[in-house]
Order: sequence, then C-alpha cells, then structure tokens
Amino acid sequence: MRKKFARDFDSLSAIYEFTEGVLAAHDLGEAVRFPVHLAMEELFTNMVKYNHDSDGEIEVDVAVDAGVVTVTLTEHDVDEFDVTRPREIDTSASLGERTPGGLGLHLLQNIVDNLDYEYRDRRSRVIFTKESG
Amino acid sequence: MFEINFGGDGEIVCSGRLDAAQCDRALSFLDGVSDARTLDFSALEYISSAGLGILLKTQKRLAENGAALKIVNVNNHIHDVFRYSGFNTIFDIEAKQE
Repeated sequence: MRKKFARDFDSLSAIYEFTEGVLAAHDLGEAVRFPVHLAMEELFTNMVKYNHDSDGEIEVDVAVDAGVVTVTLTEHDVDEFDVTRPREIDTSASLGERTPGGLGLHLLQNIVDNLDYEYRDRRSRVIFTKESG
Repeated sequence: MFEINFGGDGEIVCSGRLDAAQCDRALSFLDGVSDARTLDFSALEYISSAGLGILLKTQKRLAENGAALKIVNVNNHIHDVFRYSGFNTIFDIEAKQE
C-alpha cells in the first residue's frame, strides 16, 4: 500500500492510521506495530525537519510479506541525508550533560532489523524492515 | 489522540500517543509544573524521541530546584524506548504490571 503525505508534523496521525490499517490487515501484534510506528515517525519527522525548504510530499509504502514488514519513505528534490550513518549518542550521559534532540535516529537504528538508504538524482529513499515474532 | 491532565492525587496523567505533533501541548502543560511530580503512563500507548525531548527538558528545569519527575506504569514498549535512550538512568521509572 502506498500513499503520499504532506510534509508536516500534522500528517503523523494520518500516517499512523494508514500504517495501522496495513498492519492490522495482516494481524500483526503490538510487538511489531510499535517499532514500525516509531521508526516511521522518526524518519518522517527527520525528513520534515531537515528538508524544510522542499514543499514536495513524502511517499510512504508499507508492505507485509511472510511476517516481514517493509517500509519505504521517498522524497524528491532534497539534499542527501544518510540515516544509516552511525550516530554519536552517549546514552550513559548524566542529566546535566544531556541536551534535547539527536535521539531519533539512534532509536531508529536500534529498533529496526534492516535499514537502507539510497540517494540518486536528488531523490532520497529510506527502506527499513521489521520482522514479527 | 493525546491527553495530559492532573489526576486526583496531583499526579500527571498522560494517555494516548505522544508524538511530534503533540509535543507543543505536552510542553505547554509541563512548563506549568514547578515541583516534584509523578507522571502516570498507564494509559500512554506510545512515545517517540520528540516526546523524550519534552521529558528531558522538564527534568532538567526541575533539577535546578532539586525536584524531579517520577514516571510510573510504563508499558514494555515505552520502557524499551527509555532503555535504548538511556533515560532509565536519569528518570525514576516503574514498569507497568502487564
């Protein structure tokens, strides 16, 4: 299932409903739904924040095959931003040392099973998979 | 859908999904808190890094006055998010009995 969404945080509820519809149709449990929704939000909000000059929609594709959820997010006419690059996050830092922000991609990289990034002709595409069970 | 309100014992009750679109509302509420409080997450289904940022910002502000947030009734998935981000070391967190 594929659908385009406006580049705005207010699209998150519609993305949730779209994704939930696909996952529920395959009778997938919360153990896979929660991380899929989280990964989806972290990627979508990252695209909104770091390519805010683009007014193009973001295309979301959700597929389920043999218990494996594959999600693809595609945006056009944007700069390169490789979300698979390791993030320098000190998760043992004290409260005083911490600053808000920067955790999204760290979480993403911890909760998905596979994460790929493609960039060609100013088209940016992120693909992640999450296995059920 | 996300809701944040005071409960009957002065605790802060959160419910629904705390995503990036709901952070302004959550921060607006928490900015009005100036003393130690318990956050009841028993009806909170979901949190993302945007929500973590709001909690961190509030915890840092309260720490300046020697106060802190305690978070109770945290579901397994949200607990995992806290653990992956190391928030289990900077918040007093109690898991939900599931």
